[in-house]
Amino acid sequence: MSIQGLTNLSTEEQKELELAKIDFKMVTFTLAGKDYGIDIMKVKEIHKAQKFTFVPNSAPFVKGVYNMRGDIISVIDLRVFFNLPVEENEKGFENMIILRLEDNTIGILVDSIEKVIGIDSSRKQPPHPLFGDINIKYIDGVVENDTSLYIILDAEKIFSNESQTDSKEEIKVAAQTAAYQEMATAAAPEPDKHVNQGFVEETLSTYLGFYPSPLNRDWISKRLDSWIKQRGENNFQLNNKEDAQEFLKGFYSNCSGQMWSDELLNAVRPLLPRLGSTSLVWNPGCGRGYETYSVTALLKNTYPETVLKVQGNDNDLISISSAPGLLMDPARISPFYKEYLVGSGGGSQFNEIIKDSIIFEYSDLGNNASLPPVDMIVCRDTLSYLPESTQMSVLDFMYENLKPGGILMLGDNESPINISGWQVVENNGQRLYKKS
Amino acid sequence: MRVEYINPFVEAAFNIIKEVLQTEVNRDELYLKKSTQPVLGVAAIVGLAGDVEGRVLIDMSQETAIKVASTMNGEELTEMDELVKATITELANMVTAQAVTKLHDLGFKFDLTPPAIITGENMQVSDINVEALIVPLGLPHGKVEINVAIRERLGA
Repeated sequence: MSIQGLTNLSTEEQKELELAKIDFKMVTFTLAGKDYGIDIMKVKEIHKAQKFTFVPNSAPFVKGVYNMRGDIISVIDLRVFFNLPVEENEKGFENMIILRLEDNTIGILVDSIEKVIGIDSSRKQPPHPLFGDINIKYIDGVVENDTSLYIILDAEKIFSNESQTDSKEEIKVAAQTAAYQEMATAAAPEPDKHVNQGFVEETLSTYLGFYPSPLNRDWISKRLDSWIKQRGENNFQLNNKEDAQEFLKGFYSNCSGQMWSDELLNAVRPLLPRLGSTSLVWNPGCGRGYETYSVTALLKNTYPETVLKVQGNDNDLISISSAPGLLMDPARISPFYKEYLVGSGGGSQFNEIIKDSIIFEYSDLGNNASLPPVDMIVCRDTLSYLPESTQMSVLDFMYENLKPGGILMLGDNESPINISGWQVVENNGQRLYKKS
Repeated sequence: MRVEYINPFVEAAFNIIKEVLQTEVNRDELYLKKSTQPVLGVAAIVGLAGDVEGRVLIDMSQETAIKVASTMNGEELTEMDELVKATITELANMVTAQAVTKLHDLGFKFDLTPPAIITGENMQVSDINVEALIVPLGLPHGKVEINVAIRERLGA
């Protein structure tokens, strides 16, 4: 063995050692352009929120209270708390981190939420007394990671009761200014739209079980504008199921419920993950299986040597039961599929090469079944039909179970909730998300 | 759960119970349950191993179990004794065996463990990370649930 081989091995080992030493994870976010972190064990969840209920005569940094799925939590604007400039958020949705503290749950508003970083806690350095913006007693330490310096805040200390009674005088003065600000925002036309959007979102979940969330809210917001133009200011509410279905037209992805077209196949092909000798692909919400067959044919065509397993799941028993024997009309689908079809009574079916690669399962995404590491996940227009908390947990589950460099495909009008650290890859208007 | 497995279990449960009890059986909607589920009171469990891993559980209340055992034995039983337990165990064995035979014919190979019976109140069953398919059957004797939790050995 050469000496070089030896040194290579040892640096690799060192890297592994370093990785193994991660014993502190933090959620990072920015305030006025600077990076901060907060212990992940204190973080209950991440939330995009609006419509805070103002609490009279409270401290200026208290944004109000917020109804989070039935739990009332108080929300604090961390920027006001630390005397930092507040960035006006055009869409009105604030980035909120929900903290679970020793004696209560509290939401904090920040400029943007970045990602989760794991570090070795021995690399944490004590705070420097010169951090002008933030009182040193709230800082747990400072850590450098990937050339960025993160200030780690001590959540318990910031929100302990003692600190809130510290400055009663200040609170009084600032409470008045806060009241003015509140009036100013109420007068602006923007909140009107939020109220309207709130109503529309509620009706979507009632009539169709479609759950608006940061996953799909960009689309809903745009759609509402065109919907109001189409229906007029006074008649834009969704009054029944038909209205709601009409509203959602256009949400569904290209080639939803049918075999993928050449255009979609060609757009996705260059973005496919590099498959090894055996690979697993997961397709939750596959319905009657068109998507599963399309993806399998595409992957088999690109990587003929790979031992491929594609798992299609759906919680609709009727659809999923018909998936294994799905009949095709060769005249109506792209000639690309032709080599994988065999004739059978009354139509064509996919041949053994494709069928042996696919397992269709009756399964519910909300039940967190286990999964070995997967290379690719195709989940289009499915997550939007799960309650927001399930969307979050399923997205986390997907991220955890993807191999590094693995690809996630969501619906055309869905995007993962930003914290997760996905890298966008794009070709011909088709966006996929790569686990970096 | 893989779709090919569903029908054999539904059919086997339906046929066997209808045959041994000589009664009408109502089938309700199948559904999926999360991993931790309450058990009605008497649970006969049969393990599966081979191409898949998992178990089948036949679940009913004590009263139902006593009534079912009475019918199967052709005599009036009044308490949860050894005979009742042996009878329910046998029922579980028959249902699972017929389902597995059907699956063998379709090309899936797996083996059974001897059935075990568990009785008690306020019990729960947990299969970590596996969803369970519930086949609810309505009998004149009461409700019987066939609870199937099996998964592919994808990692292997």
